[in-house]
Amino acid sequence: MIFHSALKLAQAVRKREISAEEVINYFLRQIEVKEAGIKAFITVCADQALEQAQALDRRTDLPGLPLAGVPVAIKDNIVTKGIKTTCASRILANFYPPYDATVIKRLKEAGAVIIGKTNLDEFAMGSSTENSAFYPTRNPWNLECVPGGSSGGSAAAVAAGEAPLALGSDTGGSVRQPAAFCGLVGLKPTYGRVSRYGLIAFASSLDQIGPLARSVEDCALLTRVISGHDQHDSTSSPRSVPDYLAELSQPLENIKVGIISGDLLKDVNPEVKEAFYFTVKQLEEEGAQIEELHFSSWAIGLPCYYIIAPSEASSNLARYDGVRYGYRDLSEKQLLSMYQTTRTEGFGAEVKRRIILGTFALSAGYYEAYYGQASKARLLINQEFRQALDKVDFILTPATPEPAFSFGAKADPIAMYLSDIFTVTANLAGVPALTLPVRCSAKGLPIGIQLISDFFQESELFRLAFLVEKKVEFIKEYNKIN
Amino acid sequence: MPEKIDIDYVCSLAALRLSEEEKKELAPQLQRIVEWIAQISSLNLTGIKDKELSTVSLATPLRKDVVQGSLSPEEALANAPEKDNELFKVPRVIEGGDSQE
Repeated sequence: MIFHSALKLAQAVRKREISAEEVINYFLRQIEVKEAGIKAFITVCADQALEQAQALDRRTDLPGLPLAGVPVAIKDNIVTKGIKTTCASRILANFYPPYDATVIKRLKEAGAVIIGKTNLDEFAMGSSTENSAFYPTRNPWNLECVPGGSSGGSAAAVAAGEAPLALGSDTGGSVRQPAAFCGLVGLKPTYGRVSRYGLIAFASSLDQIGPLARSVEDCALLTRVISGHDQHDSTSSPRSVPDYLAELSQPLENIKVGIISGDLLKDVNPEVKEAFYFTVKQLEEEGAQIEELHFSSWAIGLPCYYIIAPSEASSNLARYDGVRYGYRDLSEKQLLSMYQTTRTEGFGAEVKRRIILGTFALSAGYYEAYYGQASKARLLINQEFRQALDKVDFILTPATPEPAFSFGAKADPIAMYLSDIFTVTANLAGVPALTLPVRCSAKGLPIGIQLISDFFQESELFRLAFLVEKKVEFIKEYNKIN
Repeated sequence: MPEKIDIDYVCSLAALRLSEEEKKELAPQLQRIVEWIAQISSLNLTGIKDKELSTVSLATPLRKDVVQGSLSPEEALANAPEKDNELFKVPRVIEGGDSQE
Protein backbone atom coordinates (compact mmCIF):
# COMPACT_ATOMS: atom_id res chain seq x y z
CA MET A 1 0.00 0.00 0.00
CA ILE A 2 2.91 2.35 0.72
CA PHE A 3 3.23 3.80 -2.76
CA HIS A 4 -0.38 3.28 -3.83
CA SER A 5 -1.82 6.36 -5.46
CA ALA A 6 -4.34 8.50 -3.62
CA LEU A 7 -6.67 7.84 -6.55
CA LYS A 8 -6.57 4.04 -5.94
CA LEU A 9 -6.86 4.40 -2.18
CA ALA A 10 -9.95 6.59 -2.50
CA GLN A 11 -11.51 4.13 -4.99
CA ALA A 12 -10.88 1.22 -2.61
CA VAL A 13 -12.36 3.11 0.35
CA ARG A 14 -15.40 4.17 -1.69
CA LYS A 15 -16.03 0.52 -2.67
CA ARG A 16 -15.40 -0.50 0.96
CA GLU A 17 -12.64 -2.88 -0.13
CA ILE A 18 -10.67 -1.33 2.69
CA SER A 19 -11.83 0.88 5.54
CA ALA A 20 -10.66 4.45 6.09
CA GLU A 21 -9.53 3.30 9.55
CA GLU A 22 -7.29 0.59 8.05
CA VAL A 23 -5.78 3.14 5.65
CA ILE A 24 -5.00 5.68 8.37
CA ASN A 25 -3.60 3.01 10.69
CA TYR A 26 -1.32 1.84 7.92
CA PHE A 27 0.07 5.34 7.31
CA LEU A 28 0.38 6.10 11.04
CA ARG A 29 2.49 2.94 11.30
CA GLN A 30 4.65 4.14 8.37
CA ILE A 31 5.18 7.41 10.23
CA GLU A 32 6.19 5.51 13.37
CA VAL A 33 8.77 3.52 11.43
CA LYS A 34 10.18 6.34 9.32
CA GLU A 35 9.95 9.55 11.32
CA ALA A 36 13.13 8.99 13.35
CA GLY A 37 15.12 9.22 10.12
CA ILE A 38 13.05 11.73 8.14
CA LYS A 39 11.52 14.13 10.70
CA ALA A 40 8.93 15.41 8.22
CA PHE A 41 6.28 16.20 10.83
CA ILE A 42 5.98 18.75 13.61
CA THR A 43 2.67 17.30 14.80
CA VAL A 44 1.16 13.89 13.98
CA CYS A 45 -2.54 14.04 14.79
CA ALA A 46 -3.11 10.31 15.28
CA ASP A 47 -6.17 10.61 17.55
CA GLN A 48 -8.02 13.18 15.46
CA ALA A 49 -7.13 11.29 12.26
CA LEU A 50 -8.45 8.00 13.65
CA GLU A 51 -11.66 9.69 14.78
CA GLN A 52 -12.07 11.29 11.35
CA ALA A 53 -11.49 7.92 9.63
CA GLN A 54 -13.94 6.09 11.88
CA ALA A 55 -16.57 8.76 11.26
CA LEU A 56 -16.01 8.32 7.50
CA ASP A 57 -16.48 4.56 7.75
CA ARG A 58 -19.88 5.14 9.36
CA ARG A 59 -21.06 7.37 6.51
CA THR A 60 -23.37 6.11 3.79
CA ASP A 61 -22.32 8.66 1.16
CA LEU A 62 -18.73 7.49 0.61
CA PRO A 63 -19.16 7.07 -3.18
CA GLY A 64 -19.55 10.85 -3.52
CA LEU A 65 -16.24 11.67 -1.82
CA PRO A 66 -13.29 12.21 -4.21
CA LEU A 67 -10.67 11.75 -1.47
CA ALA A 68 -12.51 9.18 0.66
CA GLY A 69 -10.19 8.05 3.45
CA VAL A 70 -7.04 9.52 1.87
CA PRO A 71 -4.55 10.82 4.47
CA VAL A 72 -3.17 14.27 3.63
CA ALA A 73 -0.16 15.90 5.33
CA ILE A 74 -0.47 19.67 5.82
CA LYS A 75 2.32 22.22 5.92
CA ASP A 76 2.34 23.77 9.38
CA ASN A 77 1.62 27.29 8.12
CA ILE A 78 -1.97 26.33 7.17
CA VAL A 79 -4.32 26.67 10.12
CA THR A 80 -6.20 23.64 11.48
CA LYS A 81 -8.87 24.09 14.12
CA GLY A 82 -7.70 22.73 17.47
CA ILE A 83 -4.49 21.30 15.96
CA LYS A 84 -1.30 23.16 16.86
CA THR A 85 -0.07 25.33 13.98
CA THR A 86 3.46 26.64 14.53
CA CYS A 87 4.89 27.95 11.24
CA ALA A 88 8.03 26.20 12.58
CA SER A 89 8.57 29.32 14.70
CA ARG A 90 9.11 29.80 18.42
CA ILE A 91 6.69 32.73 18.22
CA LEU A 92 3.77 30.39 17.34
CA ALA A 93 5.05 27.27 19.15
CA ASN A 94 1.83 26.91 21.17
CA PHE A 95 -0.74 28.38 18.79
CA TYR A 96 -4.01 26.42 18.50
CA PRO A 97 -6.09 28.03 15.72
CA PRO A 98 -9.78 28.64 16.40
CA TYR A 99 -10.74 27.92 12.77
CA ASP A 100 -9.90 25.75 9.74
CA ALA A 101 -8.32 27.22 6.60
CA THR A 102 -10.63 27.00 3.57
CA VAL A 103 -8.43 24.30 2.00
CA ILE A 104 -8.75 22.19 5.18
CA LYS A 105 -12.53 22.60 5.15
CA ARG A 106 -12.60 21.49 1.49
CA LEU A 107 -10.32 18.51 2.15
CA LYS A 108 -12.57 17.32 4.97
CA GLU A 109 -15.67 17.78 2.81
CA ALA A 110 -13.97 15.64 0.13
CA GLY A 111 -13.41 12.82 2.66
CA ALA A 112 -9.68 13.38 3.21
CA VAL A 113 -8.14 12.72 6.63
CA ILE A 114 -5.66 15.23 8.10
CA ILE A 115 -2.79 13.03 9.26
CA GLY A 116 -0.40 15.69 10.57
CA LYS A 117 1.36 19.02 10.25
CA THR A 118 4.67 19.13 8.45
CA ASN A 119 7.95 20.91 9.01
CA LEU A 120 9.01 24.00 7.05
CA ASP A 121 11.50 26.82 7.06
CA GLU A 122 10.24 29.27 9.70
CA PHE A 123 7.35 31.28 8.20
CA ALA A 124 8.12 29.58 4.85
CA MET A 125 11.33 31.60 4.51
CA GLY A 126 13.99 29.32 3.10
CA SER A 127 14.82 26.63 0.55
CA SER A 128 16.07 23.72 2.68
CA THR A 129 13.89 23.38 5.83
CA GLU A 130 17.09 24.12 7.81
CA ASN A 131 15.47 27.36 9.05
CA SER A 132 12.86 25.47 11.08
CA ALA A 133 13.05 26.57 14.73
CA PHE A 134 12.64 22.91 15.73
CA TYR A 135 14.79 20.59 13.57
CA PRO A 136 15.68 20.07 9.92
CA THR A 137 13.86 17.47 7.79
CA ARG A 138 15.89 14.91 5.82
CA ASN A 139 15.52 13.93 2.17
CA PRO A 140 14.15 10.36 1.86
CA TRP A 141 16.35 9.78 -1.23
CA ASN A 142 19.50 10.54 0.75
CA LEU A 143 19.37 11.36 4.43
CA GLU A 144 22.53 13.48 4.17
CA CYS A 145 20.71 15.91 1.86
CA VAL A 146 18.06 18.56 2.46
CA PRO A 147 14.50 17.92 1.17
CA GLY A 148 14.34 21.48 -0.16
CA GLY A 149 12.03 24.13 1.20
CA SER A 150 10.18 25.74 2.46
CA SER A 151 7.59 22.89 2.13
CA GLY A 152 10.34 20.33 2.89
CA GLY A 153 8.33 18.41 5.48
CA SER A 154 5.37 17.97 3.11
CA ALA A 155 7.66 16.82 0.29
CA ALA A 156 9.63 14.40 2.47
CA ALA A 157 6.43 12.91 3.95
CA VAL A 158 5.02 12.07 0.51
CA ALA A 159 8.33 10.82 -0.93
CA ALA A 160 8.88 8.57 2.11
CA GLY A 161 5.38 7.11 1.84
CA GLU A 162 4.27 8.60 5.17
CA ALA A 163 1.28 10.14 3.37
CA PRO A 164 0.04 9.80 -0.21
CA LEU A 165 -0.63 13.54 -0.59
CA ALA A 166 0.40 16.81 0.99
CA LEU A 167 -0.28 20.52 0.83
CA GLY A 168 2.46 23.11 0.81
CA SER A 169 2.61 26.81 0.09
CA ASP A 170 4.59 28.49 -2.67
CA THR A 171 5.73 32.12 -2.46
CA GLY A 172 8.88 31.84 -4.59
CA GLY A 173 9.15 28.11 -5.28
CA SER A 174 8.39 26.58 -1.89
CA VAL A 175 6.21 23.79 -3.32
CA ARG A 176 8.09 23.22 -6.57
CA GLN A 177 11.69 23.20 -5.36
CA PRO A 178 11.12 20.59 -2.58
CA ALA A 179 8.95 18.59 -5.00
CA ALA A 180 11.90 18.52 -7.42
CA PHE A 181 14.37 17.59 -4.67
CA CYS A 182 12.13 14.74 -3.46
CA GLY A 183 10.98 13.30 -6.81
CA LEU A 184 7.40 14.60 -6.67
CA VAL A 185 4.89 16.46 -8.80
CA GLY A 186 4.29 19.91 -7.28
CA LEU A 187 2.03 22.72 -8.47
CA LYS A 188 1.99 26.46 -7.81
CA PRO A 189 -1.52 27.26 -9.03
CA THR A 190 -2.48 30.54 -10.74
CA TYR A 191 -2.63 33.37 -8.17
CA GLY A 192 -6.27 33.35 -7.04
CA ARG A 193 -7.04 29.73 -8.01
CA VAL A 194 -6.84 28.47 -4.39
CA SER A 195 -8.12 30.42 -1.38
CA ARG A 196 -5.42 31.74 0.94
CA TYR A 197 -7.85 32.03 3.86
CA GLY A 198 -6.07 30.37 6.77
CA LEU A 199 -2.67 30.33 5.12
CA ILE A 200 -0.45 32.25 7.54
CA ALA A 201 0.63 35.22 5.44
CA PHE A 202 4.23 35.65 4.25
CA ALA A 203 4.00 37.76 1.06
CA SER A 204 0.33 38.12 0.22
CA SER A 205 0.68 39.11 -3.46
CA LEU A 206 2.81 36.00 -4.13
CA ASP A 207 1.59 33.28 -1.71
CA GLN A 208 -0.41 30.39 -3.09
CA ILE A 209 -1.24 27.00 -1.54
CA GLY A 210 -0.23 24.06 -3.74
CA PRO A 211 -0.39 20.24 -3.84
CA LEU A 212 2.45 17.70 -3.69
CA ALA A 213 1.93 14.16 -5.00
CA ARG A 214 3.83 11.25 -6.53
CA SER A 215 1.84 11.36 -9.78
CA VAL A 216 0.19 13.88 -12.08
CA GLU A 217 -3.18 12.15 -11.57
CA ASP A 218 -3.00 12.53 -7.80
CA CYS A 219 -1.85 16.13 -8.15
CA ALA A 220 -4.78 16.89 -10.48
CA LEU A 221 -7.24 15.20 -8.10
CA LEU A 222 -6.04 17.22 -5.09
CA THR A 223 -5.91 20.50 -7.02
CA ARG A 224 -9.55 20.21 -7.98
CA VAL A 225 -10.61 19.63 -4.38
CA ILE A 226 -8.82 22.70 -3.00
CA SER A 227 -9.52 25.16 -5.86
CA GLY A 228 -12.35 27.65 -6.30
CA HIS A 229 -13.79 30.91 -5.11
CA ASP A 230 -13.98 31.64 -1.41
CA GLN A 231 -15.72 34.69 0.01
CA HIS A 232 -13.09 34.80 2.77
CA ASP A 233 -10.35 35.56 0.22
CA SER A 234 -11.21 38.47 -2.05
CA THR A 235 -8.30 37.59 -4.36
CA SER A 236 -9.71 34.12 -5.04
CA SER A 237 -11.12 33.79 -8.54
CA PRO A 238 -14.81 33.19 -9.29
CA ARG A 239 -13.88 31.11 -12.38
CA SER A 240 -15.30 27.60 -12.37
CA VAL A 241 -12.91 24.76 -11.58
CA PRO A 242 -12.45 22.15 -14.32
CA ASP A 243 -12.35 18.43 -13.54
CA TYR A 244 -8.59 18.28 -14.02
CA LEU A 245 -8.47 14.50 -13.59
CA ALA A 246 -11.16 13.80 -16.22
CA GLU A 247 -9.53 16.26 -18.62
CA LEU A 248 -6.16 14.45 -18.43
CA SER A 249 -7.33 12.07 -21.14
CA GLN A 250 -8.09 14.88 -23.60
CA PRO A 251 -5.35 15.08 -26.23
CA LEU A 252 -3.10 18.10 -26.61
CA GLU A 253 -2.59 19.05 -30.23
CA ASN A 254 -0.07 21.28 -32.03
CA ILE A 255 1.79 21.97 -28.82
CA LYS A 256 4.27 24.81 -28.86
CA VAL A 257 6.80 24.76 -26.06
CA GLY A 258 9.15 27.65 -25.38
CA ILE A 259 12.43 26.81 -23.69
CA ILE A 260 14.57 29.32 -21.85
CA SER A 261 17.69 30.33 -23.70
CA GLY A 262 21.12 28.80 -23.07
CA ASP A 263 22.58 31.83 -21.29
CA LEU A 264 20.22 31.20 -18.36
CA LEU A 265 21.51 27.64 -18.13
CA LYS A 266 25.20 28.44 -17.94
CA ASP A 267 25.49 28.04 -14.15
CA VAL A 268 23.21 25.02 -14.03
CA ASN A 269 24.52 21.63 -12.84
CA PRO A 270 25.43 19.44 -15.90
CA GLU A 271 23.11 16.57 -14.89
CA VAL A 272 20.21 19.01 -14.52
CA LYS A 273 21.02 20.44 -17.94
CA GLU A 274 21.06 16.92 -19.42
CA ALA A 275 17.69 16.13 -17.83
CA PHE A 276 16.32 19.38 -19.25
CA TYR A 277 17.43 18.60 -22.84
CA PHE A 278 16.29 14.99 -22.39
CA THR A 279 12.81 16.38 -21.64
CA VAL A 280 13.00 18.62 -24.72
CA LYS A 281 13.71 15.49 -26.78
CA GLN A 282 10.74 13.64 -25.25
CA LEU A 283 8.48 16.55 -26.13
CA GLU A 284 9.80 16.66 -29.70
CA GLU A 285 9.10 12.94 -30.06
CA GLU A 286 5.52 13.71 -29.06
CA GLY A 287 5.32 16.21 -31.88
CA ALA A 288 5.80 19.39 -29.87
CA GLN A 289 7.26 22.38 -31.62
CA ILE A 290 10.18 23.77 -29.60
CA GLU A 291 11.13 27.43 -29.68
CA GLU A 292 13.92 29.14 -27.75
CA LEU A 293 12.71 32.20 -25.84
CA HIS A 294 14.76 35.18 -24.88
CA PHE A 295 13.72 36.54 -21.49
CA SER A 296 15.61 39.73 -20.75
CA SER A 297 13.91 40.04 -17.36
CA TRP A 298 14.39 36.47 -16.04
CA ALA A 299 17.66 37.19 -14.24
CA ILE A 300 16.19 40.16 -12.36
CA GLY A 301 13.40 37.97 -10.98
CA LEU A 302 15.38 37.00 -7.88
CA PRO A 303 16.54 40.48 -6.75
CA CYS A 304 13.03 41.78 -7.55
CA TYR A 305 11.53 38.98 -5.43
CA TYR A 306 13.94 39.69 -2.57
CA ILE A 307 12.62 43.24 -2.37
CA ILE A 308 8.90 42.55 -2.79
CA ALA A 309 8.61 39.42 -0.61
CA PRO A 310 10.51 40.79 2.43
CA SER A 311 8.62 44.11 2.13
CA GLU A 312 5.28 42.33 2.33
CA ALA A 313 6.64 40.03 5.06
CA SER A 314 7.79 42.95 7.20
CA SER A 315 4.24 44.26 7.11
CA ASN A 316 2.50 40.88 7.57
CA LEU A 317 4.74 39.84 10.45
CA ALA A 318 4.09 43.09 12.35
CA ARG A 319 1.08 41.28 13.86
CA TYR A 320 3.36 39.13 16.06
CA ASP A 321 3.47 41.48 19.02
CA GLY A 322 2.77 39.11 21.91
CA VAL A 323 -0.71 40.49 22.57
CA ARG A 324 -3.44 38.34 21.02
CA TYR A 325 -1.69 35.01 20.40
CA GLY A 326 1.74 33.48 20.26
CA TYR A 327 4.79 33.89 22.44
CA ARG A 328 5.17 36.85 24.82
CA ASP A 329 8.16 37.77 26.94
CA LEU A 330 6.53 38.13 30.34
CA SER A 331 9.44 39.89 32.04
CA GLU A 332 9.03 43.24 30.22
CA LYS A 333 6.87 45.82 32.02
CA GLN A 334 6.64 48.44 29.23
CA LEU A 335 4.63 47.90 26.06
CA LEU A 336 7.30 48.82 23.49
CA SER A 337 9.99 46.79 25.28
CA MET A 338 7.56 43.86 25.45
CA TYR A 339 7.02 44.04 21.65
CA GLN A 340 10.76 44.23 20.99
CA THR A 341 11.82 41.45 23.33
CA THR A 342 8.96 39.19 22.23
CA ARG A 343 9.84 39.59 18.55
CA THR A 344 13.59 39.37 19.08
CA GLU A 345 13.27 36.13 21.08
CA GLY A 346 10.43 34.70 18.99
CA PHE A 347 11.83 35.04 15.45
CA GLY A 348 14.84 33.14 14.05
CA ALA A 349 17.76 34.63 12.11
CA GLU A 350 16.37 34.33 8.54
CA VAL A 351 13.00 35.81 9.53
CA LYS A 352 14.78 38.74 11.20
CA ARG A 353 16.97 39.24 8.12
CA ARG A 354 13.90 39.46 5.91
CA ILE A 355 11.93 41.71 8.26
CA ILE A 356 14.90 44.10 8.45
CA LEU A 357 15.43 43.97 4.68
CA GLY A 358 11.74 44.63 3.98
CA THR A 359 11.52 47.41 6.56
CA PHE A 360 14.57 49.02 4.93
CA ALA A 361 13.11 48.71 1.40
CA LEU A 362 9.87 50.39 2.54
CA SER A 363 11.47 53.10 4.69
CA ALA A 364 11.32 56.81 3.86
CA GLY A 365 14.04 57.79 1.42
CA TYR A 366 14.49 54.25 0.04
CA TYR A 367 10.93 53.27 -0.90
CA GLU A 368 11.07 54.53 -4.50
CA ALA A 369 14.54 53.15 -5.21
CA TYR A 370 13.78 49.67 -3.87
CA TYR A 371 10.09 48.78 -3.51
CA GLY A 372 8.96 51.19 -6.24
CA GLN A 373 11.60 50.00 -8.70
CA ALA A 374 10.92 46.31 -7.86
CA SER A 375 7.20 46.77 -8.46
CA LYS A 376 7.96 48.16 -11.91
CA ALA A 377 10.41 45.35 -12.61
CA ARG A 378 7.67 42.91 -11.65
CA LEU A 379 5.43 44.40 -14.29
CA LEU A 380 8.19 44.04 -16.87
CA ILE A 381 8.46 40.33 -15.98
CA ASN A 382 4.70 40.03 -16.25
CA GLN A 383 4.69 41.67 -19.69
CA GLU A 384 7.46 39.36 -20.94
CA PHE A 385 5.46 36.34 -19.77
CA ARG A 386 2.38 37.62 -21.59
CA GLN A 387 4.35 38.13 -24.80
CA ALA A 388 5.97 34.69 -24.53
CA LEU A 389 2.67 32.93 -23.80
CA ASP A 390 1.10 34.62 -26.83
CA LYS A 391 3.68 32.81 -28.96
CA VAL A 392 3.89 29.45 -27.17
CA ASP A 393 1.52 27.32 -25.05
CA PHE A 394 4.05 26.33 -22.40
CA ILE A 395 7.44 27.38 -21.08
CA LEU A 396 9.92 24.68 -20.03
CA THR A 397 12.76 25.31 -17.59
CA PRO A 398 14.78 23.20 -15.14
CA ALA A 399 13.03 23.13 -11.75
CA THR A 400 16.19 23.92 -9.80
CA PRO A 401 19.82 24.75 -10.70
CA GLU A 402 21.04 21.52 -9.01
CA PRO A 403 19.70 18.40 -7.28
CA ALA A 404 19.28 18.33 -3.47
CA PHE A 405 22.34 19.70 -1.65
CA SER A 406 23.91 18.66 1.66
CA PHE A 407 23.03 20.15 5.04
CA GLY A 408 25.00 23.33 5.70
CA ALA A 409 26.05 23.69 2.04
CA LYS A 410 24.30 27.08 1.66
CA ALA A 411 25.41 28.98 4.74
CA ASP A 412 25.58 32.18 2.67
CA PRO A 413 22.03 33.61 2.39
CA ILE A 414 22.45 34.73 -1.24
CA ALA A 415 23.67 31.25 -2.27
CA MET A 416 20.49 29.84 -0.70
CA TYR A 417 18.31 32.45 -2.46
CA LEU A 418 19.74 31.36 -5.84
CA SER A 419 18.05 27.94 -5.41
CA ASP A 420 14.83 29.61 -6.56
CA ILE A 421 16.12 31.23 -9.75
CA PHE A 422 13.77 29.24 -12.02
CA THR A 423 10.72 29.33 -9.77
CA VAL A 424 10.28 32.93 -8.49
CA THR A 425 9.29 34.40 -11.83
CA ALA A 426 5.99 32.47 -11.95
CA ASN A 427 5.04 33.91 -8.55
CA LEU A 428 5.90 37.43 -9.67
CA ALA A 429 3.88 36.99 -12.88
CA GLY A 430 1.02 35.12 -11.17
CA VAL A 431 0.94 32.27 -13.73
CA PRO A 432 0.67 28.56 -12.81
CA ALA A 433 3.80 26.39 -12.78
CA LEU A 434 4.34 22.69 -12.17
CA THR A 435 7.46 20.68 -11.44
CA LEU A 436 7.80 17.05 -12.43
CA PRO A 437 10.61 14.55 -11.75
CA VAL A 438 12.20 13.17 -14.92
CA ARG A 439 15.21 11.12 -13.81
CA CYS A 440 17.75 10.57 -11.05
CA SER A 441 21.31 11.87 -10.89
CA ALA A 442 24.28 9.48 -10.79
CA LYS A 443 24.12 9.80 -7.00
CA GLY A 444 20.46 8.75 -7.01
CA LEU A 445 18.90 12.17 -6.36
CA PRO A 446 15.76 13.19 -8.28
CA ILE A 447 15.98 15.90 -10.95
CA GLY A 448 12.89 17.85 -11.93
CA ILE A 449 11.76 20.10 -14.75
CA GLN A 450 9.30 22.98 -14.58
CA LEU A 451 6.37 23.65 -16.92
CA ILE A 452 4.67 27.05 -16.95
CA SER A 453 1.43 27.94 -18.72
CA ASP A 454 -0.89 30.92 -19.06
CA PHE A 455 -3.25 32.09 -16.29
CA PHE A 456 -5.80 29.42 -15.21
CA GLN A 457 -4.46 26.81 -17.65
CA GLU A 458 -3.77 24.24 -14.95
CA SER A 459 -5.67 21.65 -16.98
CA GLU A 460 -3.33 22.07 -19.98
CA LEU A 461 -0.35 21.98 -17.61
CA PHE A 462 -1.48 18.67 -16.11
CA ARG A 463 -2.09 17.20 -19.58
CA LEU A 464 1.42 18.05 -20.78
CA ALA A 465 2.93 16.82 -17.50
CA PHE A 466 0.93 13.58 -17.84
CA LEU A 467 2.35 13.07 -21.30
CA VAL A 468 5.95 13.59 -20.10
CA GLU A 469 5.33 11.45 -17.00
CA LYS A 470 4.25 8.49 -19.14
CA LYS A 471 7.38 8.77 -21.27
CA VAL A 472 9.95 9.13 -18.48
CA GLU A 473 8.35 6.63 -16.02
CA PHE A 474 10.05 8.22 -13.01
CA ILE A 475 7.76 6.28 -10.65
CA LYS A 476 10.00 3.20 -11.19
CA GLU A 477 12.80 5.04 -9.37
CA TYR A 478 10.77 4.68 -6.16
CA ASN A 479 11.74 0.98 -6.07
CA LYS A 480 15.21 2.20 -5.04
CA ILE A 481 13.96 3.75 -1.79
CA ASN A 482 11.16 1.32 -0.97
CA MET B 1 22.43 52.90 -4.50
CA PRO B 2 23.58 50.73 -2.93
CA GLU B 3 23.09 52.49 0.37
CA LYS B 4 24.67 51.69 3.69
CA ILE B 5 21.95 50.14 5.79
CA ASP B 6 21.55 51.73 9.27
CA ILE B 7 20.69 48.57 11.16
CA ASP B 8 19.83 50.26 14.48
CA TYR B 9 17.37 52.64 12.84
CA VAL B 10 15.72 49.90 10.74
CA CYS B 11 15.46 47.60 13.80
CA SER B 12 13.73 50.38 15.72
CA LEU B 13 11.16 50.67 12.90
CA ALA B 14 10.63 46.89 12.93
CA ALA B 15 10.36 46.58 16.76
CA LEU B 16 13.39 44.30 16.92
CA ARG B 17 16.28 44.63 19.37
CA LEU B 18 19.39 42.76 18.27
CA SER B 19 22.27 41.86 20.55
CA GLU B 20 25.73 43.16 19.59
CA GLU B 21 26.61 39.62 18.56
CA GLU B 22 23.57 39.31 16.28
CA LYS B 23 24.29 42.72 14.78
CA LYS B 24 27.86 41.70 14.04
CA GLU B 25 26.61 38.67 12.13
CA LEU B 26 23.59 40.24 10.42
CA ALA B 27 24.96 43.66 9.43
CA PRO B 28 27.52 42.46 6.81
CA GLN B 29 25.02 39.89 5.45
CA LEU B 30 22.34 42.54 5.08
CA GLN B 31 24.78 44.91 3.45
CA ARG B 32 25.68 42.25 0.85
CA ILE B 33 22.02 41.45 0.22
CA VAL B 34 21.22 45.15 -0.25
CA GLU B 35 24.10 45.45 -2.73
CA TRP B 36 22.79 42.36 -4.54
CA ILE B 37 19.16 43.54 -4.79
CA ALA B 38 20.35 47.01 -5.85
CA GLN B 39 21.11 45.55 -9.31
CA ILE B 40 17.51 46.33 -10.25
CA SER B 41 18.39 50.03 -10.13
CA SER B 42 20.23 49.59 -13.45
CA LEU B 43 16.98 48.73 -15.28
CA ASN B 44 15.38 51.46 -17.31
CA LEU B 45 11.77 51.32 -16.17
CA THR B 46 10.79 54.93 -16.70
CA GLY B 47 8.07 53.95 -19.19
CA ILE B 48 6.10 52.02 -16.58
CA LYS B 49 3.42 54.03 -14.80
CA ASP B 50 2.44 53.44 -11.19
CA LYS B 51 -1.19 52.80 -12.06
CA GLU B 52 -0.21 49.82 -14.21
CA LEU B 53 1.54 48.12 -11.34
CA SER B 54 -0.91 45.40 -10.35
CA THR B 55 -0.37 42.06 -12.07
CA VAL B 56 -3.78 40.77 -11.06
CA SER B 57 -7.16 42.30 -11.72
CA LEU B 58 -8.26 44.49 -8.86
CA ALA B 59 -12.02 44.49 -8.69
CA THR B 60 -13.67 44.81 -5.30
CA PRO B 61 -15.88 41.79 -4.78
CA LEU B 62 -18.97 42.42 -2.69
CA ARG B 63 -21.05 39.95 -0.71
CA LYS B 64 -24.59 40.27 0.55
CA ASP B 65 -24.91 42.43 3.65
CA VAL B 66 -25.93 39.59 5.93
CA VAL B 67 -24.68 39.01 9.45
CA GLN B 68 -22.34 36.02 9.60
CA GLY B 69 -20.86 34.07 12.47
CA SER B 70 -17.59 35.09 14.07
CA LEU B 71 -15.38 33.89 16.90
CA SER B 72 -16.79 33.86 20.41
CA PRO B 73 -14.86 35.92 22.99
CA GLU B 74 -13.61 32.63 24.53
CA GLU B 75 -12.26 31.44 21.17
CA ALA B 76 -10.70 34.81 20.36
CA LEU B 77 -8.97 34.91 23.75
CA ALA B 78 -7.95 31.24 23.89
CA ASN B 79 -4.42 31.90 22.60
CA ALA B 80 -3.79 35.15 24.51
CA PRO B 81 -0.56 35.09 26.52
CA GLU B 82 -2.29 37.17 29.22
CA LYS B 83 -5.95 38.05 29.61
CA ASP B 84 -8.31 39.57 32.13
CA ASN B 85 -11.95 38.52 31.88
CA GLU B 86 -12.88 39.23 28.24
CA LEU B 87 -9.89 41.47 27.53
CA PHE B 88 -6.34 41.09 26.26
CA LYS B 89 -3.96 42.22 28.98
CA VAL B 90 -0.89 44.28 28.02
CA PRO B 91 1.84 46.11 29.96
CA ARG B 92 1.10 49.75 30.70
CA VAL B 93 0.92 51.98 27.65
CA ILE B 94 1.04 55.42 29.23
CA GLU B 95 4.58 56.48 30.15
CA GLY B 96 5.46 58.02 33.50
CA GLY B 97 5.27 56.94 37.14
CA ASP B 98 6.78 53.61 38.10
CA SER B 99 6.78 50.72 35.71
CA GLN B 100 4.21 48.61 37.52
CA GLU B 101 1.38 47.22 35.39
